[in-house]
Amino acid sequence: MGERKRILIVCGTGIATSTVVAQKVREYCEAQGFEVTIDQAKVMETLRGVDDYDLVISTTQLPSSVSTPSVNGLPFLTGMGVDQTLEEIRQRLQARA
Amino acid sequence: MSSITDFITNLGAPVVLPILIFVFALVLGQRPGRAFRSALLIGIGFVGIGLVITLLIEQIGPAAEGMAERLDVDLNVIDVGWPSTSAIAFGSQVGAFVIPVGLAVNIVLLAVGLTRTLDIDLWNYWHIAFTGALVAIVTDSILWGFAAAAIHMVILLALADWSAPWIQEYYNFPGISLPHGTSAPYVVLAIPLNWVFDRIPVVRDWKADPEAIQRRFGIFGESIILGLVLGILLGILGGLSVTGILQLGVNLAAVMLLLPRMVAILMEGLIPISEAAREFVQRRFPGRNLYIGLDSAIAVGAPAVIATALLMVPITLLIAIILPGNRVLPFGDLATMPFIVCMMVPIFKGNIFRSVVAGAIAIAGGLYIATWISPTFTQAARNVNFQAPGNATQLSSLVDGANPFTGVFYGVAQAPLIGLPLLGVAALLFAWWVSRRKPEEPATPEGEPRPEEPERASEPEEPRVPTGT
Repeated sequence: MGERKRILIVCGTGIATSTVVAQKVREYCEAQGFEVTIDQAKVMETLRGVDDYDLVISTTQLPSSVSTPSVNGLPFLTGMGVDQTLEEIRQRLQARA
Repeated sequence: MSSITDFITNLGAPVVLPILIFVFALVLGQRPGRAFRSALLIGIGFVGIGLVITLLIEQIGPAAEGMAERLDVDLNVIDVGWPSTSAIAFGSQVGAFVIPVGLAVNIVLLAVGLTRTLDIDLWNYWHIAFTGALVAIVTDSILWGFAAAAIHMVILLALADWSAPWIQEYYNFPGISLPHGTSAPYVVLAIPLNWVFDRIPVVRDWKADPEAIQRRFGIFGESIILGLVLGILLGILGGLSVTGILQLGVNLAAVMLLLPRMVAILMEGLIPISEAAREFVQRRFPGRNLYIGLDSAIAVGAPAVIATALLMVPITLLIAIILPGNRVLPFGDLATMPFIVCMMVPIFKGNIFRSVVAGAIAIAGGLYIATWISPTFTQAARNVNFQAPGNATQLSSLVDGANPFTGVFYGVAQAPLIGLPLLGVAALLFAWWVSRRKPEEPATPEGEPRPEEPERASEPEEPRVPTGT
C-alpha cells in the first residue's frame, strides 16, 4: 500500500469539529486500507505553514501560508456531500503514493 | 429521597455523567461496549480538566497575590477558559439533560415555524447548559435552570436565523447558520455599531490589512508561546524569584496545551452520542428548507477573523489591567478570541478596524460580567469537583463567563419569578420577529461551500440594505 500518509485535520479549536472529521476519516481510511497518521491542529497554529503532511483537511478557511494539498471538511459536519469528499480524499492519497 | 440525592451529589460529575451518557447511548442504539468506552472517556476528561485547573490555580495564585500587594492590581479571578467552562456546564445537573432539552426546543420551534435552523452541533449545547447551571445555582431550583437553558436556545436559534444571510454570503456557507452560544450574541452589538460606523466621516473609511497583521502578530496565535510569555510576565510583576518566574512560564505554557487536550478526551466520549442524536434528528427533517446549525469554529479561519483575534489578545490584557473594578485575569480564553469576533466580522464586511473596536467593547463589558458572576462560577466549578485551592482565588472565564447573555440570565435569575417568564416571552417575540422577515436566498447557490474564497474585505464598502422587510 505504499508508505504511511500523514493527514492534518484543521479547525477553529483543533478539538471540536476536527475530532468529528478525524474519526470519520480514520474509519474511512481503515476501511479502504490506507495507512495514515492523523493529527489535529487549530487554524491559528497553521499561520506559519504546515510541513511534512501529505494532506490537510480543514473545516475552516486555511491561511495562504498553507501550500499542502487540502480538502474541505465541511461536508462531514453537515452530512451532505460526504461521499464526494471521501472520494476526493481517496484520490489525493493515491495521487501522492 | 434526599439520601439518594446526597449520594448522587457525592459521587460527583466524573462518575454521574458517564453513567447517564451510558444510558443515553444505549437508548440511542449504541453497542454496549462502545457506549461504555465513550462514557468512561467522559469521566476521564473530567478528571483531566480538574487536574489542569488545579495546576493553573496553584501556579498563578502566588503571582496574582504578589501583583495585588506590589502593584495594587487586584486580578484574583482566574480565567479558566472554555475547556473548563464547557466541562462545568455539561457536568451540572442541567447539563446532564441539556441535549434532549435543547433538541426538543429546537424541534418544537421548527414545527411551529419560529426558526429555520436545525442545530446539529450538539457539543455546543454546553452554552445553554452553562447559563442553566448558573441560574439553577442562583435560584436554587433546577427547574428554573432548565427554563433558562430552553429560553437561551430560543434566543440562539433566532440569532442564527437573523445573522444567516451575512454569514452565508461572507463565508460562502450555503444553507448553514451558526447558533453558537459564544459568537452569536455579539451580532446584536455589531449590527447597530456598523450602522454608526457608516455614518462617521473619515473613520468609516479606516481599514487594516489582514495579511500584514497575521505576519506581525502571528505570535499571539501560538498558545503555548503565549502561555510562556504571560507566565514570565506575571512572575516578574508578581515579584517571584527567577526560579519561580521561569517555572511559572513553563507551567502556564503547559496549561495552554493541556487544557484543550483534556477537553478533547471529553469530546471524544460525547461524539458517538451526539452523532447518533444528529442522525436521529436529520432523518426526521429531510428535504425541508432548513439552515443547518453548525459550530462557529468553521468560520474562524477567515483572514479577517484571525487578524482581529490576534490584535484582541494584547488589547484584552490591557483592558483587563486598566478597567476599574475588573478582577478577572484573562488567560485561558486568550486563545478563544476568534469565537468572540467571528460573527461580527461578516457584518463589518471583514473590516478589521471596526471588528477590533467592537471586540474591545465586547471585552470591556464582558470583563464586568465575568467579575460579577465569578462567585457563582466558582460554585458551579466546585459542584463538578473542580476545586480552587484556598479561598483567595475565584474562577471565571471569557467564553462564556463574559458573554452578554450570561449577564442577562444572571441578572434575571436574581428575580426569577418575574424575570424568566418575561425573558421567555421576549425571546419568543424576537424569534417571531426574525421568522417573519423574508431571508434572502443564499447569495451564491452555484458555489461549492469552499472555505478558500470568502475574503471580501477589499471590496468597496456599501451601506447594507436590510435583508427583508
